[in-house]
Amino acid sequence: MHVVIVGNGIAGMEAALTLRQRDAEARITLVSEESDHFFSRTALMYVLCGQMCHRDIEPLERGTYERLSLERVRARVTAVDPERRVLQLSDKLPPLSYDRLLIACGSRPRPTPFWPGYGELEGIGHFVTLQDLAWLETELHLSTGHDRPPREWAHLEHTTDDSPYQRREAAATRRGTRARTPVVIGGGLIGVEVVETLLSAGLSPTFLIREDWFWPIALDERESTWIADRMRHHGVDVRLGESVQRFEGTDGRISGVLTDQGGHDADLVVIAIGVVPNTGWLEGSGIERDSSGGILVDEQLKTSAQGVWAAGDCASVRWFNGWVRPEQLWYTGRDQGRLAARAILGDEVRYARGTWYNSAKLMDIEYTTAGLVNMGVEGEASWFFEERGRVRSTTRIVHVGGRVVGFNFLGRRWDHDLCVRWIEERRPLSWVLDHLDEARFDTELVPPLRIPASARSPVASPP
Amino acid sequence: MTTYRQAWRNRGPAAWLLSATLIGSYCVLYWTSWLDPIAQGLGLRNRWFLYGLLYTVGVGGGGLLYLRRHGSSRYNRLRIMTNFGIQAIFGFTLPFVMPLLGQPEFYFSYLWPLKYDILYPHTLAGLPTYLAVYAILGATVVAPVLALSFGKRWYCSWICGCGALANTFGDPWRHLTSSSTRAWRFERLAVHTVLLVAFAATGVIAADQLLSSKSAAFSSFAYEVKQGYGFVVGALLAGVVGTGLYPLLGPRVWCRNFCPMAALLGIIQKAGRFRIRVKRDMCISCGNCTTYCEMGIDVRSYAQSNQSFTRASCVGCGMCAHVCPRGVLRLENHAPRARDKARQGLITADF
Repeated sequence: MHVVIVGNGIAGMEAALTLRQRDAEARITLVSEESDHFFSRTALMYVLCGQMCHRDIEPLERGTYERLSLERVRARVTAVDPERRVLQLSDKLPPLSYDRLLIACGSRPRPTPFWPGYGELEGIGHFVTLQDLAWLETELHLSTGHDRPPREWAHLEHTTDDSPYQRREAAATRRGTRARTPVVIGGGLIGVEVVETLLSAGLSPTFLIREDWFWPIALDERESTWIADRMRHHGVDVRLGESVQRFEGTDGRISGVLTDQGGHDADLVVIAIGVVPNTGWLEGSGIERDSSGGILVDEQLKTSAQGVWAAGDCASVRWFNGWVRPEQLWYTGRDQGRLAARAILGDEVRYARGTWYNSAKLMDIEYTTAGLVNMGVEGEASWFFEERGRVRSTTRIVHVGGRVVGFNFLGRRWDHDLCVRWIEERRPLSWVLDHLDEARFDTELVPPLRIPASARSPVASPP
Repeated sequence: MTTYRQAWRNRGPAAWLLSATLIGSYCVLYWTSWLDPIAQGLGLRNRWFLYGLLYTVGVGGGGLLYLRRHGSSRYNRLRIMTNFGIQAIFGFTLPFVMPLLGQPEFYFSYLWPLKYDILYPHTLAGLPTYLAVYAILGATVVAPVLALSFGKRWYCSWICGCGALANTFGDPWRHLTSSSTRAWRFERLAVHTVLLVAFAATGVIAADQLLSSKSAAFSSFAYEVKQGYGFVVGALLAGVVGTGLYPLLGPRVWCRNFCPMAALLGIIQKAGRFRIRVKRDMCISCGNCTTYCEMGIDVRSYAQSNQSFTRASCVGCGMCAHVCPRGVLRLENHAPRARDKARQGLITADF
């Protein structure tokens, strides 16, 4: 059996390892345009900062592919024919036939709204791919670091113009000076990561956020204000409720961003407004996708075509609350990759997502969330507590009729696993407050969170 | 942090120069008496106190820089301040003052088998009773019991002078410690070999001293063992290689590969309560933990497999937990609880 996996990211790699673990004989081929080696996309910002080098963000030792007989092709897949079970690669390579196909090709940057200047000026880009990293390193430091990924540009012979893995010229190169006045567009997680790396490079970025506060899908206004204050404290010009209208340039390079509130000088613009499934190449294949481009899969992660499965960022799966859309998370990519491999091997499997949870670090502030937060559940209320002592933190517990449905924490570390369990056990708020300390995951010697009785008093018991 | 953008921290010319200087200085210290006049000129008894003073300055200065980098964590702050306090008091001041009070020059912070000659019968016989009892109980009771309760970190990361220098002066190079499988194999072979040799050497020398030289051949063999161990382990591996290579191979070359005390406490740690707990399914495989582990432990491989773990080499510095952007790791001294039982995480490639 020849299994071909399109994508060498967390979902594809996890699937390949699962397949190999179960079947020592199967021929397994990973096709990747972006890189020879599996790496942690989540760690790209640390390479940009200089906190890690390329080899550090590769979870597996480089000999793993050879040791486990995983074949690799470094090229862009341009089309798939599920009837004949053949993948078309670039013109210079022969087609690749398969018995089973797993599509785990991930995301690409969300197309920008119509902003004149985009696509014409140098110095505007995204921060999603390894190639984006090389571009940004050049914009910030005029050169990339000495530790490079192996065969960094080997795919350029076998790619297409619309590829998100194309090489991008840096404005800094022609200008001869590194970026000094960067602008970041988009108030989400990647936006704040880029802001952090710019700060670590000694720059004071402008951060343009269209919404009324930073990251409204995850934070409420009180929580968000704290993050924005922390960014401002470090020298970031945080602009809320400001929409981009156009880019301006001189000599083909970015020179400014015009918004509905005025203008900002810019010699570098990073757009971080999200990602969409990287599935344009499936056009005409007969493999069904939803309006966002996500590949529609059933509970076995099987697509509408015979012998084709999909996993990770590119697949639209059913969420715990009934939504059907991609789950752009590291751990779900991993779970889906493993599950798809088992489905390919013929196991009876079913992808069922549990309660939502996530965590992040926003500047130096820890963030943990679990359950239904900012989802606008009918009849929901929030219990909120702000700690301002040796530790600064906020705790927000969302409840419906006194029963806890969600947690949002900033400033401390918490065990999401226990929070999820409490939600699933439908624990009352008062009970959760009594037991909250059990979920504490702060590093040792950090004083525990003390909630004074006065802050607890309005807590009602569920009927 | 901009670790990889600083050449002196990444084996650039300055790192090589510093390493050569350190190695040269150790050679001068161990095998010449050139530094004695300088020490005496400063009012210090001999060159070893000059070394002690410089060592303390290294821990203090390096400690301040460490606090600038990692001081946002209370664990880090208390640990580094303790390191400095122990070094200043027990590593320098007390040994200097004790002879003035008619007591022997005694280093309370170093225990057997790290201080390999302290349990020789002749050494013990020459100590006042309270110090002899301290040396024996410290090595045979206190150290193992504390290692069972708290892991080896109570010693390697809070008390020991070698650990103190590694975590302060040596901290800028912690990411250089190799986390490859090859380095791990070498570590296990080397450190356990030194441990066996330390036990054997102590046994041979003790036997010789207790039997008071009934056989001239055995006596001279014991003398050779004593000199040889002192030269290879005490001077070459602990000083010249261990500290001299900080800027090239990371700050724990000695502790990880050669220290018999670390090996012994590591074995005890495996049987004790200390562990690093991993939060379930939260790791994003970024690798900050592995990069900044000064002992070259591939922490990420455990974190992404949802596997709480205890590794013999872990000195409990806490950096993996500190640098983790998802708060996945936590150092603990608890017996495992049922709810922490690992569920399968990312498949590691170990099959």
